Amino acid sequence: MDASSTPNALRPRRPAAGLAVSGAWLPAALAIVGWWALPIGRPNRPFLTLEPDLYAASIGHPLLWLTLFAAVAALALSFLPVPTARRADMVLAVGVVALASVVAWFMISTTPFGMGALLVLAGLVMLLGNALSESGRVQGDAFIASSILFVSLFVLLFILYPLFTVLRSSIYIDGRFDFSVFLRTMQHPLFFMLGNDRSAVDEVALTLRWSLAGLIGFATFALWRRVRWTAVLARAVLGGALGFVLGALIYGNGALPTSLLLVSIVAPTATLLGLAFALLGQRGRLGAVRRSLDVISILPIITPPFVLAFAMIFLLGRRGLVTYNLLDMQSSWIFGIPGVALAQILAFTPIAYLLLRGSLSSLNPALEEAAQTLGAGPWVTLRTITWPLVRPGLAAAFLLSMIESLADFGNPIILGGNRKYMATEVYLSLTGRFNPNEAAVYGAVLLLMVLGAFFLQRWWLGGGSFVTVTGKPTSGALASIPRGLEVGLTVVLFVWTVFVAALYLSIVVGSFAQLWGVNYTFTLRHYQDFFAGAGWEVFLFTARVAAISAVPAMLLGFLVAYLVARQRFFGRRFVEFGSLLSFATPGTVMGVAYIFAFNTGPVLLTASATIIVIALVFRNMPVAIRAAVAGLAQIDPSLEEASTMLRARSLTTMRRVLFPLLINTLVTGLIFAFVTAMTAVSQVIFLVSPGNQFATVLLLGWVDQGQLGRAAAMGTILIVSLLLVIVVVLQLARMLGARMVGVRT
Amino acid sequence: MISGLKPATVELRGLVKRFGKDVYAVDDVDLHIARGELLTLLGPSGCGKTTALRLIAGLERPTAGQILLDDEDVARLPAYLRDVTMVFQSYALFPHMNVFENVAYGLRVARRPKDEIGTRVEEALAMVGLEGLAHRTPSQLSGGQQQRVALARALVIRPRVLLFDEPLSNLDAKLRKRVREDIRELQQRLGITSVYVTHDQEEALAISDRVVVMREGVVEQIGSPHELYTRPASRFVADFIGSANFLPGRYDGQQIDLLGYRWTHEQDVAAGPVTVMVRPEAVEFARDDEPALEATLMSSAYLGAATEYVFDVAGTELFATMSGGGMSAAEKGDRVRLRLKPTAVSLLPPD
Repeated sequence: MDASSTPNALRPRRPAAGLAVSGAWLPAALAIVGWWALPIGRPNRPFLTLEPDLYAASIGHPLLWLTLFAAVAALALSFLPVPTARRADMVLAVGVVALASVVAWFMISTTPFGMGALLVLAGLVMLLGNALSESGRVQGDAFIASSILFVSLFVLLFILYPLFTVLRSSIYIDGRFDFSVFLRTMQHPLFFMLGNDRSAVDEVALTLRWSLAGLIGFATFALWRRVRWTAVLARAVLGGALGFVLGALIYGNGALPTSLLLVSIVAPTATLLGLAFALLGQRGRLGAVRRSLDVISILPIITPPFVLAFAMIFLLGRRGLVTYNLLDMQSSWIFGIPGVALAQILAFTPIAYLLLRGSLSSLNPALEEAAQTLGAGPWVTLRTITWPLVRPGLAAAFLLSMIESLADFGNPIILGGNRKYMATEVYLSLTGRFNPNEAAVYGAVLLLMVLGAFFLQRWWLGGGSFVTVTGKPTSGALASIPRGLEVGLTVVLFVWTVFVAALYLSIVVGSFAQLWGVNYTFTLRHYQDFFAGAGWEVFLFTARVAAISAVPAMLLGFLVAYLVARQRFFGRRFVEFGSLLSFATPGTVMGVAYIFAFNTGPVLLTASATIIVIALVFRNMPVAIRAAVAGLAQIDPSLEEASTMLRARSLTTMRRVLFPLLINTLVTGLIFAFVTAMTAVSQVIFLVSPGNQFATVLLLGWVDQGQLGRAAAMGTILIVSLLLVIVVVLQLARMLGARMVGVRT
Repeated sequence: MISGLKPATVELRGLVKRFGKDVYAVDDVDLHIARGELLTLLGPSGCGKTTALRLIAGLERPTAGQILLDDEDVARLPAYLRDVTMVFQSYALFPHMNVFENVAYGLRVARRPKDEIGTRVEEALAMVGLEGLAHRTPSQLSGGQQQRVALARALVIRPRVLLFDEPLSNLDAKLRKRVREDIRELQQRLGITSVYVTHDQEEALAISDRVVVMREGVVEQIGSPHELYTRPASRFVADFIGSANFLPGRYDGQQIDLLGYRWTHEQDVAAGPVTVMVRPEAVEFARDDEPALEATLMSSAYLGAATEYVFDVAGTELFATMSGGGMSAAEKGDRVRLRLKPTAVSLLPPD
């Protein structure tokens, strides 16, 4: 039907349905105010100086005038009485011009952006969001469209761009591609060296012997299995290669073999221990076992990652209680791979345990019952049913432990001894050897290794998505663990629990002891030092920064979860990928990346509390995303659609429907974002500056200087206060949630 | 009673919804829904009926095409700006709000004054017969009551079009029949334009002014329940609505010839070979003196009110349902003579 021939054309042009005025007018006005009333740039770091030269009008660049002109045009067009969608297309066009021109000006001038620029950018992004929604190009309302734009922008600016700078700095030096630093670092003894002239043994020969052993072993096994001769050959080659790698890891020196050797010890051990504990927790006959596992699973959350390593010095170090006072030996065996491995196993087993507990509880008990009715005993059921079914979970736990071990910074820096580790070399090459390009090379290699493992895990388990189906626990009797196995595992758990308890206790005792290993008399000296010196101030600063970062981390995490789980839009996978990336990237690499990315140019942020907050927000956002996705999965999407059908916009729907239903999840997410921010170390160690000191970094420094008593005091205060926060707030959230939701079926 | 309703006409023009690269959930659908009409979208699961409904609601964005409400295209308008609302399959009652708050939700979102909200919610609750339950939470209501809250919640905001997404599928069979009569009665009393989605053909026939049968995203046939049943346009429609036998025959413009059995039939079909659609209830045993269809009785099942037979007609199975005992003397393997009630026979193009 031709529109002009119908009587409709005679009606007033204002659309009957739709919007009389485009919602873009408000953000357009905001952008104009930001342009006019606030400085668009800033002289250097401080944000809050109103330098008259840095107002857009006084700079007077044509691109800036174009921005203003386009924003004014968008404002005017918003009131044009034409159908909503057509008007939105026009607003969209001028909005894109405005944004492009202001971004172009910043790229050209490299002026750090000021308050005005923030307002202009925020206004223009919201303007585009309104226009995209009203034109029907994005499903959903202005809030959804703007959120999509903001989130994509954040992922691009604060996750992908910094990582890109690391990769770039490793091969792009002084304005051109230059592989010399890359190659030099790779060949450097600190990175990897097999032959060592200073040591008595011949490492190369030893490694070749391992290789030969592997070759013969694999070939013999293949011959015994009577496979074809090509297969025998292939396996022999594989065996030789594996033997060589293993030999190189054991005898080689440098960060690469050390980190890999560590991984090959820690990942299998943590995974198997995690599985053992998960079996005990789910099927054990003792209630005490289950309770102690509940504690074990919460401890690593409230403990800064290296505090156990530091407690190990108390117990097992040169002046350790066990090693020196009880066994009367003076050895420093924990400084090196054994100590780091032990500390990492202690830290990562609970993570593997949590993962495997989930994987075990999603197992359908009917399968095990079926096996038992078919005559399988406990051992046979475990071997033929349970084990194959939890294999994907085991793979996930293994790869996660691998990633954690590779990325770990705190334990190697305390217990590393004189060996080198990938994660610490990133730090040392920047702050010790002042070679940013070398740091970038280490960072790039570590990043690629970790991401390789990470995406291998995602690929293996299918998905690559936060939105994975988690199994519901089903009813039915679980197969019990074979009696002998249970006794063995319980003993392991008992030893573990005693050891961990001793470690935590030693921190508390250490904070009250005069001088550990020498003089155990009670003193409050360390706490006096702590409160009189910088300690208390830094602790408060850390708590404030963590609290400030937790709120946006949770809100942004919730928003991303909502967009990814509930909306379909172009770029959804991109947002999800970016968020996963920020979760998988080792903290030191992200820290270096932030230094590279935000040291100059329009986004100058280094040496401020802001950059620490931003780093923590994007570091902890994925945790909040996970929590929110799990929460959203419990809510029928038709509740939101019903709200939409009753004319609620998405922000109203969130406020009135989702928030009340998810209050519990949100508070939990908030708390975990806060706690992980307070215990963060690797990602902030680069970003601290005088006046912006972080508690964990300070603690690390004190351990380094040997001020163990004061460090123990800080550790005790951190652990106790975080424990309090978790217990109190989670209890409050539970009560609040129960009241908000009322009676539920 | 809800006052101030201004029902709209709905028109879909060339509506397309594609998921991914080549999955066409709705493929070039044209449809006109009159003011005050109840139109049902009927089809098997995956036929695109729910997607079509969600497109009208604005919960999905069309790939192409127009959606006109009173001649005005709303296809690019977001859902909350269309005067359309929906009753969900799961009812989607907010679990953290009581009945009153659920019904008041749309009015609160629209920032109506408090006393107006009070009166309108009470009116709506009275209309669905739920006075006095305003302070219950949804979990304290029965399925039928929840359904009525959902209906009140949708109607209280005075939509111009009301959409139903399989609203009865969560009710048990007995309740379903009563609630569907209630819905139809209320819809006619209010005269509100409604689009109703179901996969239950009996429900569709019972409740609708017109029914749209959909298949793989395409409209297969539009018509009144009577038209669809007596003159299905395709084998698919004939099979989906009721059950049907298909026998090869010939039509000369006046008479049908089915294996020599001939009778007069009026239908706008080209002369030549045709497929004769025979409803099971069209089959009767013939008297000896009248022309008939020769068949062999294969099996029979006595069901009390009716008896079901399977006959073999020249190698094709013919299912028949006869009220009462039919001819109880016939036994398996007997040759029988059948006649067909002309009203329950229709012609389709040949296979």
